[in-house]
Amino acid sequence: MDFGLTDEQQLLLESLDELLERECPESYIADLDLHHKPPTTFRKAMHEAGFGSLGFPEEYGGTPVDAVTLVLLATRVARQGFNNGYGLELLQAMDIIEFGNEEQKAEVLGLLANGEVPFALGFTEPGAGSDNSAMTTTAVHHDGMVTFNGTKTLITNALQSKYLLLMAKNPGVEDPRKAISMYLVPMDAPGVTTNQLDKILWHISDSCEIFLDDVTLPESCLVGVKGNGFKQLMRNFEMERLVIASQCLGLAECAFEDAAEYAAQRVQFGKPIGQFQLIQQKLTDMAIKIENMRNFVFKTAWMLDQGVPLKSQGALCKRYCAMAAFEVADEAMQIFGGVGVTVGTRVSRLWRDIRGHRFGGGTDEIMVHIAGRQIVKDHS
Amino acid sequence: MKIVVAYKWAPNPQDADVRPDGTVDLSRAKAAVSEYDPVAFELARRLADATAGEVIGLSVGAASIDTPLARKAALSRGLDRLVLVADDALADADGTRLAAVLAAAVRAIGDVDVVLAGDSSIDVAAGQVPLTLAGELGWLGLASVSRVEAADGGLVVERDLPGGTTVLAVAGPVVLAATADAVVPKVAGMKDILAAAKKPTEVLALDGLDVPAPGATLTTLSTAKPGGGDRQATVIDGADPAAAAAQLVGALRQAGAL
Ligand SMILES: Cc1cc2nc3c(=O)[nH]c(=O)nc-3n(C[C@H](O)[C@H](O)[C@H](O)COP(=O)(O)OP(=O)(O)OC[C@H]3O[C@@H](n4cnc5c(N)ncnc54)[C@H](O)[C@@H]3O)c2cc1C
Repeated sequence: MDFGLTDEQQLLLESLDELLERECPESYIADLDLHHKPPTTFRKAMHEAGFGSLGFPEEYGGTPVDAVTLVLLATRVARQGFNNGYGLELLQAMDIIEFGNEEQKAEVLGLLANGEVPFALGFTEPGAGSDNSAMTTTAVHHDGMVTFNGTKTLITNALQSKYLLLMAKNPGVEDPRKAISMYLVPMDAPGVTTNQLDKILWHISDSCEIFLDDVTLPESCLVGVKGNGFKQLMRNFEMERLVIASQCLGLAECAFEDAAEYAAQRVQFGKPIGQFQLIQQKLTDMAIKIENMRNFVFKTAWMLDQGVPLKSQGALCKRYCAMAAFEVADEAMQIFGGVGVTVGTRVSRLWRDIRGHRFGGGTDEIMVHIAGRQIVKDHS
Repeated sequence: MKIVVAYKWAPNPQDADVRPDGTVDLSRAKAAVSEYDPVAFELARRLADATAGEVIGLSVGAASIDTPLARKAALSRGLDRLVLVADDALADADGTRLAAVLAAAVRAIGDVDVVLAGDSSIDVAAGQVPLTLAGELGWLGLASVSRVEAADGGLVVERDLPGGTTVLAVAGPVVLAATADAVVPKVAGMKDILAAAKKPTEVLALDGLDVPAPGATLTTLSTAKPGGGDRQATVIDGADPAAAAAQLVGALRQAGAL
């Protein structure tokens, strides 16, 4: 078994390091977090260096990339202490590249190139969270037009996006899996209003409720095939869980490094606290969790690259990494003592940001819901 | 325009172990294109693009400078092709000897208009190779170059010197050493890295080159850490700027600096 990097992966990581050092130092991240601003300049720089279009087909200016490499990069960006969703944005754009019409593709790729978030993803509703088949937002097609009504909530980056990738139901179809379609709706379309939700984490991304009141658009806003919305959305979901897991890994690595350095230097009772066995035990267990996460993430990526069916692997990986990363961040904060909860200490941000990953992309519990069923099925 | 970028495949001192006696062990340090050389790559690429020219990377050193990774690392930074002289006879070569070998390689490449180099290498940092190379070639050599552009068949070169900025018209072959911040080099993207594997590399045999025997060789008698001075590490709280300034003046007085 080869755990080494290829020359190409090593060079790509070195390039990314250079870019992170230049465009994304801790002062930049802390400032964005404090002022709740999006990382536009960093996104733009990533795009210019070709990291923003990895995995896109070549005819759209992209470069093919394997899952292991993508996960290496996503982990590295997160290890900077940066919860910017690198990798996830690529996956979302892939939905449009794969299913969108030429106009939609041109629009989305253009926005990406400018460092902007082309669209927010809207499926969660007040009455439909984990159970998204219960969504009630309607899309009624009539005379070449389509009219939307309903409410979405907890939508990330809605305020900084030009579009909403909206999941809505045809009220005439019973089976929820066949009723849902995908639409690209301009956020400034008449009838779209928002209510920003203040949250305690992910400050570089806004979160919103979105209200759709008789929003009427030409049918050309449909993405892909009518009734296939759910299938289209799920197309990249294994990869999405994996990328979230790799972000958790990177953020946890960052928290671990900070805590280990602090333990080596903070003196109490006449010696560095790292000399106390209780602190050493924390660091040891954190290191074990990080190693487990790393193995889980890279094995899962390798399986994807080999075409091995993942079955419940993605759900297991996402659940483990989101939870273990939070445990690592929590212990890291404990090692910092009281200063760990202050805003200027990076570990407090990591602790907050990792917590969000226990919901986004499916909760810890829903991962059990997915994996548990599969395990029982495999043994029945 | 035929442009050569002379670069060093150098160990990163950040990975170095400093032994208790002050000597430095670089054996476990990861090698990379030396810190400031990408500036020269970038200047060369821009100059070549403006003149429909060619950029040739050139590095000389021990056999270890020629690995697939080392080739791709250089070729992904905007080179058209690469020329290497990789021979363990050059393992501990001093700057003068390296410059002589570089000069022989530049002559072997032939018809070169410009050689660009970085400010200094990350591991030795003596900054003398580019100008020694110019001497070996019998060409004009200019250090502290902050800008270079093509003009009327020659070059316009800007130099950032302590006394101010000078803009020069340069005709004929020249060796230029760039300042560390002349341009911000583009980082190599996936496309560049993948393309690097397909670009040609030529390895020149050291004994096939016309390198004059060194007039003198260096013997290192001793090395030592640079004196760090006695740091007091006084931290002044800057929350109240006026109080902080008063405290700073007080501390400087106490130290006898004022
Ligand atoms: C930071 C953040 C960003 C988000 N970004 C987006 C976005 O961009 N777009 C979007 O559409 N949505 C987004 N969401 C919403 C997210 O997808 C939902 O929060 C998630 O799907 C859970 O839904 P819910 O919050 O309604 O919780 P509920 O589904 O109501 O769940 C409440 C609790 O019950 C548990 N539970 C539910 N069903 C079961 C079950 N069958 N078995 C056991 N336990 C169960 C859950 O795990 C949870 O603990 C985001 C959420 C967060 C926190």
